[in-house]
Amino acid sequence: MEKCQFCGKPATVHMTQVINNKTTVIRMCNECASKHGLFDKEGLPFAMLSGLGEALFSGMKQNLSANGLICSKCGCTPMSFKETGRLGCPHCYKDLKLLIDGIIESSQKGTIHKGKYSREGAMAATMNATGSFTDTSAKKSPRRLSTKERLNELQEMLDAAVKAEQYEEAARLRDEIKNLKGSEGVS
Amino acid sequence: MNDFAKKLFQDSKLAKETTPVVVSSRIRLARNLADFKFVKYACKGDLHAVAERCEKILSSCSIFTNNTILNMGDLLDYEKLALVERHLCSQEFIMENNESKLFFTDDHLTSIMINEEDHLRMQVFRPDLNFKTMFDKINAIDDHVSENLNLAFDNRYGFLTACPTNVGTGMRASVMLHLPALVITKQIGNLILAVQKLGFVVRGLFGEGSEAQGNFFQISNQQTLGFAEVDILSRLTQIIRSIIEYELNAREIVKKERIIWLYDNIGRALGILRGCYCLTSIDAINCISLMMLAVDLGYLPNTLRGDLHQMMMKIQNSHMQVLENRVLNGGERDIKRAELLREFFATVPNLKFD
Ligand SMILES: [Zn+2]
Ligand SMILES: [Zn+2]
Repeated sequence: MEKCQFCGKPATVHMTQVINNKTTVIRMCNECASKHGLFDKEGLPFAMLSGLGEALFSGMKQNLSANGLICSKCGCTPMSFKETGRLGCPHCYKDLKLLIDGIIESSQKGTIHKGKYSREGAMAATMNATGSFTDTSAKKSPRRLSTKERLNELQEMLDAAVKAEQYEEAARLRDEIKNLKGSEGVS
Repeated sequence: MNDFAKKLFQDSKLAKETTPVVVSSRIRLARNLADFKFVKYACKGDLHAVAERCEKILSSCSIFTNNTILNMGDLLDYEKLALVERHLCSQEFIMENNESKLFFTDDHLTSIMINEEDHLRMQVFRPDLNFKTMFDKINAIDDHVSENLNLAFDNRYGFLTACPTNVGTGMRASVMLHLPALVITKQIGNLILAVQKLGFVVRGLFGEGSEAQGNFFQISNQQTLGFAEVDILSRLTQIIRSIIEYELNAREIVKKERIIWLYDNIGRALGILRGCYCLTSIDAINCISLMMLAVDLGYLPNTLRGDLHQMMMKIQNSHMQVLENRVLNGGERDIKRAELLREFFATVPNLKFD
């Protein structure tokens, strides 16, 4: 019986992954698999899984200059990404770009979004009866709520929270409204 | 039956209309709100706000008629696990936090996880291979969501996700296949390698390790960036169509070259299902797989296909505990499982071999 690469117990999860013709095999026990968040077994290249250790990360194209990066919005760093396998916030895609581009290169075949709302307008697609698709490219980008709409929504939620006597939530919403007004210069 | 059990056991279209080889298919989209941290880094207050916002948008969506929203924090462990067994949510979803909510329609064909690793994981299912209908459906839901929430989107990276392996379309499409003949003829290993080389992922559905149990496999796309949704779905459809053809050819070969072996295995499996008093879930699933093959080959009536699929759901560990309304230990589960199977297979007609 094969052993778990992490703790040496009998391995029950065996996974083979082929990315750009490079094959990686990983064996681990159930416990280690769940510890490493290996439940979404579809599509996760192993080199990317959280905490899988340097040995596996060596398979991934590493950009050393990515090491000093930190996300200005959430504080996520390449180290914390290595530990959790997850980014902190949408802004990480800007501030940790070097890290992310390396990961994308080793896990994805493409580098630019071509799906829904992409610049090429490749979508809002429909498929014809024979199963092949045709494009109707209706929309170019997701709708952004205006500041006014968002403020209205927050005010609504605040009223609801006060009514339900959820004061903690109400305080949070009040802060959010204040921040939004401040950042957009709305009085 | 309590309310939860009723919701879980309501007649599943997914089971009733299942087809030979293709057991079911699914499309899942990952979306995040632009103004919040991703789930793993967000504080309780943020997660609560995300959940409220998503719930409000979903309940105002005219696409849904009869649906349920569950607060995951309110559920018992085996209730959560039963939802995983039914594929309504993921294993990761039930492990994480108490601010998560599960939205699903009464037909079990749409489910939306709020605060999984991404703020929204929306999925639609079908009992056959029809990505056109499924995509139109999930795209309409996604339109509603993106018109009412500020989604994290970037022109270059597409939909931004907590893990860069989902970025771009944020879409994972998968098909659950029943491939007994490819397993019997030992062609499955090569097939898995070939499919992986095309950039798709194969995994066994039941059991662990390199040997998948019960001959059920799930195939899904690995890449999410750089391709349009429609291209990913067309390629997956093509691949699945050729696998179906391979499986059907392999069935002909088995019938030609190993017919006694086949009769013997199917006959014994039915014997076990009719006579068992204590049966593990792996043994049960392997026997049911052979019964599904028997239906496909015309040895049992066609009308049984859906019932077999329902049985396969029902005899899973947590489903039985929901049914019994209490925790069952391993031994008790094997006994209960055998009881359910014995009862059902007593009503199944005898095999008609040709
Ligand atoms: Zn281990
Ligand atoms: Zn960040």
